[in-house]
Amino acid sequence: MPSRNLVEVKVNAVLQVKNLTKIYKVDSVETPALRGVNLEVGQGEFAALAGPSGSGKTTLLNLIGGLDHPTSGQVWLGQQRIDGLSKAQLANLRLWNLGFVFQAYNLIPVLSALENAAFVLELRGESPAERQAKARAALETLGMGEFADRRPNQLSGGQQQRVAVARALAAKPKIILADEPTANLDSKTGIALIEHMRALNREQGMTFLFSSHDPRLLEHVDRVVYLEDGRVQGVV
Amino acid sequence: MFNLLTLSWRNVWRQRGRSLLTAGAVGLAVFFALVYQGLIGAVENGMYNTLAQAVGHLQVRVAGYRDKRELRDLLIPGAEAVKAKLQQAQPQAEIVVSLEVPALLSGESRSRGVLLVGQEQPPKFAQNFRAQFLQAGQMPTSNTQGIALGAALARALQVKLGDAVYAYAPNTQGSGAAAYKVVALLHFPDPAAEGRAAYLSLAAAQALAAPGGATRLELHLPITRYSQDSLVSALRPALAIALGPGLSVETWREVNPSLAQVLALLQPLVLVMMLIFFVLAGLMVVNTVYLGLLERTREFGVITALGAGPAKVTWMVLLESLLLCLSGAVGGGLLGVGLVTILSKGFTYPGLDKIGGTFGIPQVLYPSLSVWAVLGTLLFAVLTGLLAAWWPARVAAQMEPVEAMRFNA
Ligand SMILES: Nc1ncnc2c1ncn2[C@@H]1O[C@H](COP(=O)(O)OP(=O)(O)O)[C@@H](O)[C@H]1O
Ligand SMILES: [Mg+2]
Repeated sequence: MPSRNLVEVKVNAVLQVKNLTKIYKVDSVETPALRGVNLEVGQGEFAALAGPSGSGKTTLLNLIGGLDHPTSGQVWLGQQRIDGLSKAQLANLRLWNLGFVFQAYNLIPVLSALENAAFVLELRGESPAERQAKARAALETLGMGEFADRRPNQLSGGQQQRVAVARALAAKPKIILADEPTANLDSKTGIALIEHMRALNREQGMTFLFSSHDPRLLEHVDRVVYLEDGRVQGVV
Repeated sequence: MFNLLTLSWRNVWRQRGRSLLTAGAVGLAVFFALVYQGLIGAVENGMYNTLAQAVGHLQVRVAGYRDKRELRDLLIPGAEAVKAKLQQAQPQAEIVVSLEVPALLSGESRSRGVLLVGQEQPPKFAQNFRAQFLQAGQMPTSNTQGIALGAALARALQVKLGDAVYAYAPNTQGSGAAAYKVVALLHFPDPAAEGRAAYLSLAAAQALAAPGGATRLELHLPITRYSQDSLVSALRPALAIALGPGLSVETWREVNPSLAQVLALLQPLVLVMMLIFFVLAGLMVVNTVYLGLLERTREFGVITALGAGPAKVTWMVLLESLLLCLSGAVGGGLLGVGLVTILSKGFTYPGLDKIGGTFGIPQVLYPSLSVWAVLGTLLFAVLTGLLAAWWPARVAAQMEPVEAMRFNA
């Protein structure tokens, strides 16, 4: 057992979480969502967070993604400690290092599939030609090339989520975080999506950390971290 | 491939009805502002030219003339030499020499006390004078004993064209009495002025009351726009020095301070009107931009989560507001410039002469717009867009992505 006070930063880890706690406070009612979580994700890993509803998966992913501030503990992205960064610094960090896939797809309705896939690159200020090429390649990797010009409302849920994965992929982040990416999909489409992600992981070495409570999806994963009541219960 | 501009543009037109209405309000503000400026500019130039025509851009009289009553005290010493000096100083100006003689004017049966004006009218001035005031007949020339009367004065004296009138100007150095033939009837927009107007040639007035005399020299400069008037004030001090202490040099402003004040009020009035228009339109823009923001709270959350910082989110909201305002402004601007262009060929409406007469507003207005007026108005629209977006943009920039994405509109 490593000592609690000893902070080691592993060189090959993309992500390290140390002793992370998060207590939500609503009208002076305190809800502890995370109670000291330790977690590590290595380069090229395909890892999942599992656990019942309310176990803290979303909270943990939000803290890792720099979308929220922990109550205590540390989050390291590569060699950089990110808990405690300012709002603008976190935005910049997300822009250049992190990819996100959300449960509700969250594509931008007025942009085509191709434009959605290029959105992060646009925020980064890349040239139109560069954006176009990268976004198209990402769409094609996910088998969405022929739908490039469709708007989100002309796509099925599974197709929209593949565009969302392409959006994350096109920006080549250090890690893609996906909070229940298949929860809005039927199980067949969900498994197809996970298989797409798995292929990206194998072929391009893209690191993934996603959450799910569907046991069938978890069969495709290198490592499953089980959360319960804000604590890591086990790793398989 | 899209960019933030095209993204904002598409977002603006997502709620087409609402955005059209708001852009329309901005367009209306721009339209009114332009037409208003065009008309006010015409009124300004019209009033300015009427005033300048009536009293000259600059006027030379004896110093302290306001307190002097006797004709002999009001005569300008060496009037011919003074005129030559003025002409030399401003070769391109026209100089109108007048001799004003208080006199009793009688027809066959009635009399009136008037101020006879003997006037030597240079060509351009004479042409304007005829165009503005001559109703019938011909203006008197220097070698005839003709008189031009205001139509109202002629009615009061019960005389008509071709009739004789008699003038008495006792206790002067001239003949003191003379008979004239009514050769012209004049119409003035101001009825009181028409009831007093009686014009002779300068030579005839001098023969009656003051050989070689003059009470007033007017300098008429080749200026037709109010915006060029600063030239006039700039000219005054040098002329005053050149003519010496015995004479007063006054601008049209000092000769007619109350109308000058009305004239000076027009621009601020336009500005206040514009402010009101744009504040009203701006409130609609705030409402539209803020509603758009609320409806798309989730989207803003996503955009923030993907890495757009506060500065970029602020910019996206500003851009939407600017696009909304500019599309309205371009529409309203085209209509406004179009209407002013049509009206610029001459514009009048019934009753304008009656209301306008007392203020010296001409009966036909020629509205026009400068490039600066158009650009200034568009700038107003841009400022409206920026100010209107200020608060929504702050709200957007301060959103927490996690909460925003949980939001359901
Ligand atoms: N914004 C919040 N305010 C208060 N309590 C919250 C908030 N978000 C999550 N929680 C609570 O924190 C705990 C963990 O929630 P969450 O991380 O969403 O779990 P999961 O994603 O595994 O379902 C739950 O008890 C939940 O009610
Ligand atoms: Mg969850």
